[in-house]
Order: sequence, then structure tokens, then C-alpha cells
Amino acid sequence: MPSIFPSEEWLIELKDYINQDEKYAHIARNWEGDLIFHIEPTGALVEPLCFYLDLWHGKCRSIRMVPAGDPTEAAFDLTASYENIVKVLKGKLDPMQAMLTRKLGVKGSMPYMMRNVPTVLEFVRCVQDVTDKVLGD
Amino acid sequence: MQPILTIDLTTGETGVIEIPSDWQRDYLGGASLAARILFDAITLELDPLSPEAPLLFLNGPLSGTSGPTVGRFVVCAKSPATGLWGESNCGGFWGVELRKTGFDGLLLTGKSEGPVYLFVDDGEVDIRPADHLWGQDTYTVQDSVNAEIKGRAARVLGIGLAGENLLPAALLLADHGRVAGRTGMGAVLGSKLVKAIAVRGSHPIPVADAEGYDPLRSAANRALKTDNFTLTLRELGSASAADYFDYLGEMPKKHFQSGVMEGVERISGATISETILVGYSACHACVVACGRVVQLPGEKHKRKGPEYETLMGFGSNLWIDDAAFVTRMGEICDTYGMDSISVSNTLGLAFTLFELGILTREDTGGLALEWGNHDIVERLLHMIPAREGFGAHLAEGARALGRRHAAEDRAVQVNGLEVAYHDPRGASGMALVYATSPRGACHNQSDYFLVDIGQVEDTLGMEFYERQAGAEKAANVAKHQDWRTIFNSLVICYFGNVPPETVLNLINAACGLDWTLEQMMLCGERGWNLKRLINNRLGLSRANDTLPKAFLEPMPDGGSAGYIVPFEEMLLAYYAARGWDWETGRPSAAKLVELGLKWTLEPL
Ligand code: SF4
Repeated sequence: MPSIFPSEEWLIELKDYINQDEKYAHIARNWEGDLIFHIEPTGALVEPLCFYLDLWHGKCRSIRMVPAGDPTEAAFDLTASYENIVKVLKGKLDPMQAMLTRKLGVKGSMPYMMRNVPTVLEFVRCVQDVTDKVLGD
Repeated sequence: MQPILTIDLTTGETGVIEIPSDWQRDYLGGASLAARILFDAITLELDPLSPEAPLLFLNGPLSGTSGPTVGRFVVCAKSPATGLWGESNCGGFWGVELRKTGFDGLLLTGKSEGPVYLFVDDGEVDIRPADHLWGQDTYTVQDSVNAEIKGRAARVLGIGLAGENLLPAALLLADHGRVAGRTGMGAVLGSKLVKAIAVRGSHPIPVADAEGYDPLRSAANRALKTDNFTLTLRELGSASAADYFDYLGEMPKKHFQSGVMEGVERISGATISETILVGYSACHACVVACGRVVQLPGEKHKRKGPEYETLMGFGSNLWIDDAAFVTRMGEICDTYGMDSISVSNTLGLAFTLFELGILTREDTGGLALEWGNHDIVERLLHMIPAREGFGAHLAEGARALGRRHAAEDRAVQVNGLEVAYHDPRGASGMALVYATSPRGACHNQSDYFLVDIGQVEDTLGMEFYERQAGAEKAANVAKHQDWRTIFNSLVICYFGNVPPETVLNLINAACGLDWTLEQMMLCGERGWNLKRLINNRLGLSRANDTLPKAFLEPMPDGGSAGYIVPFEEMLLAYYAARGWDWETGRPSAAKLVELGLKWTLEPL
């Protein structure tokens, strides 16, 4: 039974999916950078939510929820409302569109991000692939 | 807005035109207002390089107000490159300084007896001899003029050899290399024997509701400063997305014939940043600062770094991957006052024709035009503005070069303007943009290639279509053109990723209006159609809404390999969305009435 986003199970499923995806492994083979996603509470999400992903050379080395107050830092800090994240997960908002139209905040090296747009898009494809159901559905 | 200063260069007479308030409301300013002002004067019979031809420099209501990326002005005339509506847009500080003289525009007519430069010092106009400046490059002339002016330095806009020799690709340059690059506005100024225009002023820049405007512009600048697109532009310049464009097959190579080039990453914005970048430069009060300052290996002095179009034009377009070389070629274009897009595109055609055997050494004065040959490119670049040898043929642009050798279909141009470096096979919206732009193939009437990768403003009712979608995106393209027409009226730089609601609020405060987004977009649509009407009167019809042959054939390799733009279907859908007549290529009477352009029906 597919897990619901956001949940610990969903994170594990995402890690496994990324690590078996050949296309992602190829396109992201040079990617070096961990990420923290900050999800602002809108819609069905009532509390802010944060999770961490360590992506390295086409694999996901670790993934976990970040509790409030945790001092974890990462190369990239991404911020979006829950509503917009859900739109991205459901393919209703293109990730580049989110970046270019102020719906996704990015802190970190934008040059690195721009150079690696194909990796970002492949990552989002993996995320979409593992997401069947989201909180509020 | 403030009045327009007029100078008749034949008689030396000056005057002042007040801009009717209903024109300001209907067209805002910049290019759309210029189209209204010049509507009657731009006729089929008018020779764009004759004394009768008007040349209008015009600001918009936001120009110089220190709002988000608004340090820009436009230059408009009948284009000697296309014979159609001519419009070019320039940053830097010159336009802002013009506003400070108490005039929002400058309208030149006539022709001076000998070379002159103009000095507009607050309200005063001085027409000064410039025989001694004729022949100077675009940077030297700024220093020379300022050396003759007492007191605080003026802002100087000038032409180089290309403008003096009336090249269709001649541009105007001001400040640290900010140019009004396209449609040959430098040739129009050169035809009037005006070498440069110096402006200096102390008037405040007017806005209708200063109290309301100031907090809006501050907030807009704060938001823009941390915008994702801004961050990439500041760090990587206008070539920030070059790697992605290459991946998509949207970045042209070998004169639009190849989708793959080894080493192309060496001319990306990211590589420039990591190798030769030593600083940034910006137009007036701009928080983006997309301008590059570079230092080449082994050199101590700094140079203006190349932006995306120059990088691709003298880089991948000519099969060259050397950023230092491209930087120098961009600089040569600037100093001679030539548009790097038109010139590099024309060179690409020459190299193509040489490869095909259509051009031979006999035509080129013995030069072997081999792809990637740096020396040949540099030699030709010096020959073009001087109209020397084969350079004289290149000086007339791609369409003329193609015609001369019975190979016009090989020229990658639309209506006489060489295509910029965004391939519609990688971003299909650009097919309609190039085909229907009022000034020929142009990416500065709509940068739809960014919409094709996601810059979709949904509050304007725009949708996100797949980058190689067809007719379904036609209405979206029209909407984006209207949106960008607003930018060209205000005048805002396209690199300012400013949300529509913010733009609307700035307009309302600066102009004392109470518009909605719909009214703003209607104004954009009105401007777009007015320029279309001018072109219709100049003989433009649906037959002109075309694409070069190169774009109607599939790319053999790379990210857009195999895709064929469904152009006819797209154009048909575009006409429907625009309310244009498929037979005549003109806006329908009903559309004109809807847009408040009923008054144009009579002259048509
Ligand atoms: S973004 Fe660049 S071109 Fe645009 S106004 Fe700013 S500095 Fe000038």
C-alpha cells in the first residue's frame, strides 16, 4: 500500500526509489549537495514541516524528517507552501515554474542549481513517481 | 509625463511637444507611446535614412524612478534594417539623465549640414560641431564630449563607425557599454550627422503619487533582490541558463544547424563566472546587476563581459568555445557600434554559404571562411563597419547577403532582422514570437523561451505548456507579448522578474491610475496592435509572418532533435487569438474598436 506524503514511510520509499532509478543515477551522477525542504503550513498541513535529503552522485545517501529546532544545515534550503508542494507532487506545478515564479524559495548556490536543472527535474520526477496520496486528499 | 524636446537638425530649431494625457493613459509611455506619436510620420514612402525621418528617444513613466529594473528608455523610428517599425531598448543611465533635463523624450528630425553632437543641459540645447569626433569609437566619443563640457559630467549616447557608415546593424551605445542594439537606430542617428547626444539635468523625476510610490518601489526592489532569477542573473549573467538551454537544444550552434557542440560549456555563464569574472555592473538603480566585468588571462585591465547573445553569436554560432575571444569580439562590436546579434548571425550565414560552396574565395577576397577560425572572424569584424572588401557585403545584413547569392532561404532572419540565439525547435513559442514581432525576428518583444521553461505568470491567465507544444500555446504567446509590451512601455527590463500585481501597483502610483490587471493587459494589447498597424501600412501582411527555413527543418541532434515546429497551425491559432484577419494580416475592425483604436481605421 503506497504511503502518504508527508510521512516517514514516504521518505523511506523515496530513498529506495531514487537509489534504484537508473535514469536519475545517470543524470545526477555529478550532483553533490544535500537539501532541506521547509514546508509552510497551508491547506491540510497545520504545522511547519521540514525534511532533509543527502543526494550524492546519483544516489540518496540519507533522508529524514527534521524536528523543529534541529540545527541541521544543508547546501540548499528550499521553502514552499504545502499547497505548492502538493501541486508539484501532482504534476500541476512545474518545478522550474515554481522557481521562476516565486513559489519556491531557494537558498544556496543558484549557479549550481541552474547548471544542474536536468538533475533537479529528474529528482522531482522520482518524487512524483512515489507519491500517490497526499495529506488532505 | 514631462514634455518631449524636439530638435530640427536642418534648421537648428528646437521646440516642445506636450504629450496628450489620453495618449499617456492609453499607451503609458516607452515604445507604445512612441508608436502613437510616430504613427502618422512613419509611412511607406519614408526613407528611414532621409532628413524627413523622425527619431524618437522616449522614457516611460517608471524610467529612472528607482523602481525594479526601470533604468531604461526606448529609441524608435522607421528601421533601415527592416523597413518596418524600428524599436530598441537601452539601459544604463542616459535615459534617466534625459528625464532629469525636464524632458521625457527627444524627437530628432532633419539633417545637420555637418557632423554635430547635441548637448541638452537641463532645459538648454546646444548643437555643437563634431567634425573632430567623427570616426571616434563609441567609448572615446563619450570621453571627448565630456572633456568639452564644463562642470559635472554628462551622460553621452553615441554612434561608432557603423552608425557613421549607415549599417543596418548600427547601434547606439552609452555608459559602460549599454546599447540600443537592434533595428539600426545608430544608422538613423548617423544619417542625421549626429555623432552623440549628451544630457545632463537636475530636475526631479516625476511620479503622480510619490508618497504611494516610494514604499511600493522599495518593497518591489527588496523582493526582486532575493528572487531566484535575480540571483542567477547576478551570479552568472544573462547566460545563466546557457547550460540548460544547451540541454534542451534551444541554444543555436553552427548557424542553427547543429544541436551538439563539444566544449560548449566553456562559453556558459557559469564558466565565465568561474574563470574571468571580476565584477558586476548595473543600469541605474538596478538590484539585479546582470552586467559582467571580466579580466582576460594575462591582462591587467578589465573589460565588459559578454552577455548571452554575444556569447552564443560569436561562440557556438561560429563553432567557437573560447570565452576570452568572444569577449573581445563583443568589445569590437561595441566600439564600432554594431549589433552583435545581427553581425554574428550574418557571419554565420557567410560561413554556411562558404561551406556549401555558394560563396568562394573569389567572393571573400581570398578568405577561407572555415568554422571556428578565430582570425577570420576578427578580420571580418574590422572590415564590416568600414564596408571594406567582402565586409561591405556583410555590412548589409543576412537577408541582403543571402539575396546577393541567391540563397535568401539560408538566411536566419525574419523581415530583415537577424534571429537572436533562441531556437524555436527547443522552445516552440519562439516560432510565433519571431514570426509576429513588430520589429523582425526578436526576443525582446517577448522572451517566451523563458515561459517555455516555466516563467508562467498565472495571475495573467497564462498556462504552462510543454516547450515543444504547438497551436495550443498560441493564445499564451499573444498574452505574453502583451505583457512584455507593457514592460517596453514603462520601461522595465525583462530581466526583472517582477510579479504582475507589483507592476500594476507601480503603474497606478506612478501614473495616478486605478487600473486592474485586465486594463493593464489591454493596454499591452493595444500597443502590440498599434505597432502591427504601422507595419501593415508599411506593406506587412500575413506573408511576412514567416520563419526561416532552418527552423522548419528538424535539428539532427541534441535536445531538440527531430522536432518540427507545427508553424502553420500555430500561426492560425495565433491569428484567432489575436483577432487578426487571416487574409490581410491586419487586426480586424472589431478588434480595433475593442482596443480603442477605431481612429486608425481611416488611414488603413
Ligand atoms: S537586469 Fe541587467 S540589463 Fe536589466 S536593468 Fe538590470 S543591469 Fe540593466
